[in-house]
Amino acid sequence: MSSRDTILATLRANRPDPAAHELPPVAVLGDMDAGKARFEDALQLLGGQILLPQEGDTLATAIARRFPDAKIICSAVPDFEGTIRLEDVTSPQQAAATDVLVVRSPFGISEMGSIFLSEAQLNSLNSAAHLTQHIVVILSEKNLTANMHTAYVERPEFHTANYGVLMTGPSATADIQGVLIRGAQGVRSLSVWWE
Amino acid sequence: MKVKPVNHAKAAEEFLDDAPHLTFHDERLWDMRQKRDQQMHLLPEWQELRSRASAIKEHTLANLPEYLEQFEANAKKNGIHVHWAADGAEHNRIVGEILEKHGAKSLIKSKSMVTEECDMRAYLEPRGVTVTETDLGERIQQLDGQMPSHIVVPAVHKLVPDVAKIFAKNYNTDPNDNSPQSLAESQRMAARPVILTADAGMTGGNFLVAETGTFVVCTNEGNADLSATVPNLHIATLGIERIVPRMADMGVFIRLLSRSALGSPITQYTTHFRGPQKGGEMHIVLVDNGRSARLGMEEFWTSLKCIRCGACMNTCPVYRRSGGLSYGAVYSGPIGAIIDPTFNERKYSTLPFASTMNGSCTNVCPVKINIHEQLYKWRRVLAEHHELPFVKREIMHMAGKLMGQPTLYRTAINGTEVALSTLPRFVLYNWLNPWGKHRELPHPVKQTFHSWYKKNRLKDKKESQGGKA
Repeated sequence: MSSRDTILATLRANRPDPAAHELPPVAVLGDMDAGKARFEDALQLLGGQILLPQEGDTLATAIARRFPDAKIICSAVPDFEGTIRLEDVTSPQQAAATDVLVVRSPFGISEMGSIFLSEAQLNSLNSAAHLTQHIVVILSEKNLTANMHTAYVERPEFHTANYGVLMTGPSATADIQGVLIRGAQGVRSLSVWWE
Repeated sequence: MKVKPVNHAKAAEEFLDDAPHLTFHDERLWDMRQKRDQQMHLLPEWQELRSRASAIKEHTLANLPEYLEQFEANAKKNGIHVHWAADGAEHNRIVGEILEKHGAKSLIKSKSMVTEECDMRAYLEPRGVTVTETDLGERIQQLDGQMPSHIVVPAVHKLVPDVAKIFAKNYNTDPNDNSPQSLAESQRMAARPVILTADAGMTGGNFLVAETGTFVVCTNEGNADLSATVPNLHIATLGIERIVPRMADMGVFIRLLSRSALGSPITQYTTHFRGPQKGGEMHIVLVDNGRSARLGMEEFWTSLKCIRCGACMNTCPVYRRSGGLSYGAVYSGPIGAIIDPTFNERKYSTLPFASTMNGSCTNVCPVKINIHEQLYKWRRVLAEHHELPFVKREIMHMAGKLMGQPTLYRTAINGTEVALSTLPRFVLYNWLNPWGKHRELPHPVKQTFHSWYKKNRLKDKKESQGGKA
């Protein structure tokens, strides 16, 4: 008998009575506020930032001001130029040189300040979202969902994407003597630009 | 030769001798517990979430074979190679074969308690595979040749100078570097080139979703996503119990996991892997390693509900003051003490005694495992299986006899008063009394409650009865 069959047979022999343990209905609990203010508070709690436009700002001028030393600004969206397009980046090794990656997220979660990205937004080069030093995420207020329950119930991406990441602020660690450090091994900063 | 039980008390003693480490460890973990409480108080539905999480897990465990088959079918449909490992040895062999087939010599990995359970690095490295842990805490532990001391924060027992010394030796950094920021940056700089040239990546995982064939990985540093997406070969290892039926169930668990673990609402990364990336290959190894047997243990099967948040460790006074390494096992703290004996009853026979039975672990558990009750039940099982050390067994035996006979007990208690006040220390504090090692025995009382009662209340009663008459 294969290990698979042995394991399944042992589980069948050993399990508690299934009739005594019914599956509860899908839970949709908690605060249903899908607002921008809640999203921003949650995002900032986890170290994320809002890229605020100043008078007459475009995304390009806002990025230039926020990242004055950035040399390689990679765009994954059609409406922003950057210095290179993500379609022209062909390998993780090439993506590793990126200073700022600009992407558009299909939805955000107000409870957590999370944004979602999948291969559909990353031109199938998923590592680009983690190798870049900084990431700027374009998000629309109308694409906010209230909380984790509504996100999993409503969003089709969890059933279709091969790679789907909820990023909530930048990478972080507190592994050395409990000191919280934003910017661990993935992006050093994550900024949201409202459209 | 018979395996020796872990001497938790002795290892804890060494930990207790080091005041700076002990104080930091205790305070850091208590701080995590307090942050968890703050998050809990923000959610009026917290207890409802715990009940739901517990019910979903119990249902899933009762239907585990069906859900695993459903997961396997969906994962295969999405192009994931699914492997089953009965134990650690088979797990390691499977991973080794996948790597060999690809000629992979450099493996980068994120933290996975299951690969620790299987002792995978020790298997792969003699076979010419360089395994690099990419999680900062886990990397520190790897470089120091130690097991993780906590399931969420593996190097929580170390201070900045400890890390500086380890990095200096391995990364040629300043041995006197006292900045956690600059040490973390050293790790980033050292890891990047290894990540970019690795042949294969490996992750653990927090959840399997039967409905979609997805596995979900919750992390903070970004190293797991790098390990999974930079190389074209991704191997994931998960225990068979980590499954939930529906994608919509993830809402309950994600809302509980990081709040319980670190006191943050969510991990910085919550990643859903449903299939290989473009041009890539994805494998998942489903590991049993004692879990299917544990499912049949009537009093202990609910320990399989565990989502590995570590809240029980952070709140446990014994864990906080003895350190994870003192448990001598992959899983430490209260959850370790109830699952380790299922791996090796004799070796881990001392661990269920590393508890004050205060029940705090049960109270903070997001999936409502009755941890302290299982600790108690394990003590009974171990006594029945004769896994108690001689002194503990004999003393329990004598105490049982004494407490079963009121007259004998009272005589003994009266004698104790005399003994405590008159016997020399060496008689009271010796190897027969491990309890007295770090504690003073209570001051002898002048009078026991029983003798006071006999003297006063019975007298009152007689008097009042006498008055009536």
